[in-house]
Amino acid sequence: MPYLKFLSDEEVKAMHDATMKVMSEVGIIWTHQPSLDILLGAGCTMNGNRVCMPEDLIMDSVAKANKRPEIRGRNGTVNKIGSGELFFHNLGGARDVFDARTGTHHAATHEDCVNATRVLDALPNCNNVTPFFTPPDVENEMMALYMYRHTLSHTTKPVQGPGIQFGHEVKYAVEMAAVIGIQPHELTLSLSPVSPLTMHDVAAQAIMDMANAGVIHANLPAPTGGATSPMTITGSLVQQSAESLAPLVLAQIMNPGCGVIYCGRLGLLEPRTGLIWGGVELGISSAATVQLGHYYGFSVNVYGFSTNAHTLDAQNAFERGLNASLPALAGADELSGIGEMEAGVMGSFAQMVLDNELAKSVHRQRQGLSADAEHLAVEVINTVMNTNRNYLASKHTLKHLRAGEMALTKLAERNSWDTWEDKMSRKQMADYATDEAERILHEHVVEPLEPQQEAELDKIMAAAEKETVKVKKK
Amino acid sequence: MTEDLDKLYKDMAQCIIEGESEVAIELAKKSIEIGLHPLDTITKGFVVGVNYIGDQFGAGEAFLPELVMAGEAMKAAVAVLEPELLKLGEAREMMGKVVLATVEGDIHEIGKTLVGTMLSASGFEVTDLGVDQPADKIIGKALEIDAQIIGMSALLTTTMVRQREVIEELDKEGLRPRIKVMVGGAPITRDWATKIKADGYSEDAVGAVKLAKELVGKADQ
Repeated sequence: MPYLKFLSDEEVKAMHDATMKVMSEVGIIWTHQPSLDILLGAGCTMNGNRVCMPEDLIMDSVAKANKRPEIRGRNGTVNKIGSGELFFHNLGGARDVFDARTGTHHAATHEDCVNATRVLDALPNCNNVTPFFTPPDVENEMMALYMYRHTLSHTTKPVQGPGIQFGHEVKYAVEMAAVIGIQPHELTLSLSPVSPLTMHDVAAQAIMDMANAGVIHANLPAPTGGATSPMTITGSLVQQSAESLAPLVLAQIMNPGCGVIYCGRLGLLEPRTGLIWGGVELGISSAATVQLGHYYGFSVNVYGFSTNAHTLDAQNAFERGLNASLPALAGADELSGIGEMEAGVMGSFAQMVLDNELAKSVHRQRQGLSADAEHLAVEVINTVMNTNRNYLASKHTLKHLRAGEMALTKLAERNSWDTWEDKMSRKQMADYATDEAERILHEHVVEPLEPQQEAELDKIMAAAEKETVKVKKK
Repeated sequence: MTEDLDKLYKDMAQCIIEGESEVAIELAKKSIEIGLHPLDTITKGFVVGVNYIGDQFGAGEAFLPELVMAGEAMKAAVAVLEPELLKLGEAREMMGKVVLATVEGDIHEIGKTLVGTMLSASGFEVTDLGVDQPADKIIGKALEIDAQIIGMSALLTTTMVRQREVIEELDKEGLRPRIKVMVGGAPITRDWATKIKADGYSEDAVGAVKLAKELVGKADQ
């Protein structure tokens, strides 16, 4: 289907031009000398403490990047991001768990980390799994590795690497991926530059380490419109694109051809509370990010399921529905957010189940319509009109029902009032999702790693912990 | 004359509400020219605007950018008036001294800076150490300037634990309750603040000012 366009081709070009102007004239705050030496050697210049990148160098780097990276799971699944298929992954880095059964929330525990991964493993529309929760008793310097390590044990699906902050995390993430047979070029790692337009020294070093390791760069600029980027969405997207492209330039100079996924995490400031996230502007921003990323030929990963809601309520459903639909229809290659609640600080197992169902509907929207002879069905109409005037008994009906003309849902309530009241005990979609999440947790078994693989992962974690102590001392 | 003066004070409050720093500077200069006492200018004029916008924000009627711009306008006005106070051998009576910082490992600062602006605008003497600040530096600065309050921010779920380290260090050194601790940041909750034994937390900058006033025993001002 033709993709939804929020911006005309001319407007996208204008955004590209603006991005180049920001990168070549305003520049990015960059003080890390080893990486600056590389950038300046490649033709960049300094504007005070900001590095300015010439358009030729940026576009040369864009041209060199592998824009169709493949990520692989230990079950053998290979997901080629940018193949035209829409992939979904879950939220990463949530603090709290919403218990849909009791309506309460609590800080995530190790057990929640394990259970979240198991539920995601069981849900067919979650294609890639990202480490979900951040248990509070884990050190900042070890968090990403801790989350990654315990995700590997509890899913066989492709694991999209954690959001890292430090260079030393790269080495250990790569080593852990190798334990389950994943090569660096199949492993995504994500680093967030600080908005506006700032690459701190640790971040620049991490980009260098990622480039040296040859992992897929799925960096996550996360500007907040109205606070750390312009209030206007297109202005924020220009800045976000500069924040996405700047580390990419360094990576492609160092390791031409390494994989890249163009990601955007723009949210607008809620001007009354200072929080971000759930409004429909998020979906619009994500859709426009897709357009801009596709302009460069990249595969694009943006926010999908997103809400500020604290429960499985009406606000939750309308926000996440709109915010996933819009970028999906704009041609997003990958959407994030399965299981997300409360602006990304909370997640829930029932929400994961709901999003799995919603993803099916989003896929249906994205599938679009066909106007070929088979779908226009003139022959079928003629036949039916000449026979029993009833399509229920037509082979055409069954064929297309099975072919996916309708996204059939098991969770949505589609009975009459009487049936709903008498037989279904007035249960709603969220109730069914809560039941289903509990069923999965009770029944779903993930093929375990070999004991020696577990031991190897523990050994790598122990080595990482030792190095972390050194990093902290510095 | 009284009517003129009333209008001048109203204009001062209004320029803060509208976030017009340049107008605030002009009016501050005008107040000096016509011989108004700088403390009257602050308390009867500009502060009225700050309080109004704070109340509006609290009621969900004003937006964060308005709050920030009002705070900046207030700072601009005070910067003009303070040298005059010094000349008179007086100083604006401050609410208290606050050291602000984003904790170690965290490089986000917008929220903390906003809290600093609002505290300054409300009469606190604020020393903002910036981002990525280890416990010893935060505590060292608080002791150096004899601060009553340490305010700590963290944006990341992975760095909020550092707030606890600072509090534990203060306890170890026996510096509490002399130094009070307030915490904030996107992942910070009431439960977290209680758990780490902070003296208080706020979800936003206006609440932070209210909390700081309570912590220094000036809740009614």
